Amino acid sequence: MAEWRKEPREAWGSKLGVILAVAGSAIGLGNFLRFPVQAANNGGGAFMIPYFISFLLLGLPLMWIEWTIGRFGGGFDRSTAPGIFETVWQKNRFVKYFGVIGIFGPTVIFTYYCYVESWLLGYGVFALTGKYASCTDHASMAAFLQGYQGLVQNEHFSSVSTAYCFFLIAFAINTLVVWIGLRGGIERVCKYGMLVLFVFAIVILIRVVTLGTPDPARPEWSVNNGFGFLWNSQWGKLKEAKVWLAAAGQIFFTLSVGFGVILTYASYLRKRDDVALSGLTAATTNEVAEVILGGSIVIPAAFVFFGPQGTMEIAKGGAFDLGFVTMPLVLQKVACGQLFAFLWFFLLFIAGVTSSISLALPAVVFLQDEFNLDRKTASILFAVVTFNLCQVVIFFNGQGSLAEMDFWGGTFCVVLFALIEVILFAWVFGMDKAWGELHSGSDIRIPRIYRFIIKYVTPTFLLLILGYWFIQEGWPTLLLEKTPSDKVPFVIGVRVLMVDLFAALAFLVWLAWRKRENREATQ
Amino acid sequence: MTVTGWTFLVVSWGTILSLAIFCFYRTLKKKG
Repeated sequence: MAEWRKEPREAWGSKLGVILAVAGSAIGLGNFLRFPVQAANNGGGAFMIPYFISFLLLGLPLMWIEWTIGRFGGGFDRSTAPGIFETVWQKNRFVKYFGVIGIFGPTVIFTYYCYVESWLLGYGVFALTGKYASCTDHASMAAFLQGYQGLVQNEHFSSVSTAYCFFLIAFAINTLVVWIGLRGGIERVCKYGMLVLFVFAIVILIRVVTLGTPDPARPEWSVNNGFGFLWNSQWGKLKEAKVWLAAAGQIFFTLSVGFGVILTYASYLRKRDDVALSGLTAATTNEVAEVILGGSIVIPAAFVFFGPQGTMEIAKGGAFDLGFVTMPLVLQKVACGQLFAFLWFFLLFIAGVTSSISLALPAVVFLQDEFNLDRKTASILFAVVTFNLCQVVIFFNGQGSLAEMDFWGGTFCVVLFALIEVILFAWVFGMDKAWGELHSGSDIRIPRIYRFIIKYVTPTFLLLILGYWFIQEGWPTLLLEKTPSDKVPFVIGVRVLMVDLFAALAFLVWLAWRKRENREATQ
Repeated sequence: MTVTGWTFLVVSWGTILSLAIFCFYRTLKKKG
């Protein structure tokens, strides 16, 4: 323990604990809602070809990179991106500022993710109490959601107050888990949370598979054809570049790589702990949740009750629509629907919590590591700042604040950060040293072809994603081309807020390094 | 569901499950 530290450095309780924590961070709403929509809209079974190629060329390499440089940085007592990047590129005094992205991104995502997570908690309670039971079609269920979010006043909700109460509960749970700490809080929640999540998902999966053909008048609306809707292949789609980029994007976001979170988790490993097998195990656990469970619930269930045309429209409506509008309607139509709806929303809530606590960690650990705060003080400080940021998301959601934060914090920063990581790892740290570090204490040997993939293929893939994204989405969004004129002042306000947050974090990094240099000079 | 659809489903599920079993077997064998 460094002499100036208030608290000894935390450690994971077990290898399985850290694997489940990383898997818990990766398994989120996207596994159950985004993946089936992406697969259904981009070629069905044929989508799995670019999906698995992206997993091998993009997802796994990035997973290994984050585990490796995280553990490497942890060996120097550094647990967040600014410090870890500096240990990788020791001669560069500026690289720590690139690391700010690894604290800024997760903090921004935390602020809106926590709010969305609270909707799941709310809907879980509504499922049991039957609050949305009177909504029997898509329009009324969508109106229920809008009323809940405070976007409109209707017979269900007169204000955002109900949503706000659930937000307070969800926020308190997140703060409490982080406040308790790595081993007693995060590791324990992820261990039990993952178990409950998988059990609930399997129960719902069995219910969906046994739906059969509920409407005898429409024998083609069967669960078998529902699976066919997702898995039958449209080979022509593979010729479209956007399908390949959609698959790469899905892999990228589902594995939680590029967030700076896995770096922090891995920094608590010991020098001789395995990272190669652990990274592969965490990634595979995520794939089980995504392809096997996520791919077998919403689309087949929607197909059985809404048919091919209805499911097509639902898939085009996006992930939120699928989760908060379609699934409640579907589960109303099955026996013991209230119970299954509760299980559905609660499993998504658990998936959300295990992800959001990981998002909170980089900023909390940064305050601990660099400013010598104890865990509890750092957690409270983080909670105060993010609680205020959350108000913007809650009260200006209708003005596009959530979408704007997601766009920059949850998309742009993530891809950019991953690109920086892979360049640092393969080109600055050097492939020989990086390969040796990856295999230090390793329980498996990674095929040597990955030396080539990590050095050339993964960065090229990331550049392509970033370039395509910037041309298609980034530039028009930056220029506010797609923003309705009445929302422009709010969107600019959110951007100013994000720039302020980034600048404040960069200043804290500068301050921390100055303090560190002074301390080292004194010693 | 078509034969191709079933093929994609079985191959995808099979690959992922085999990999998961291999990973957890190796991880739990070396208790950390």
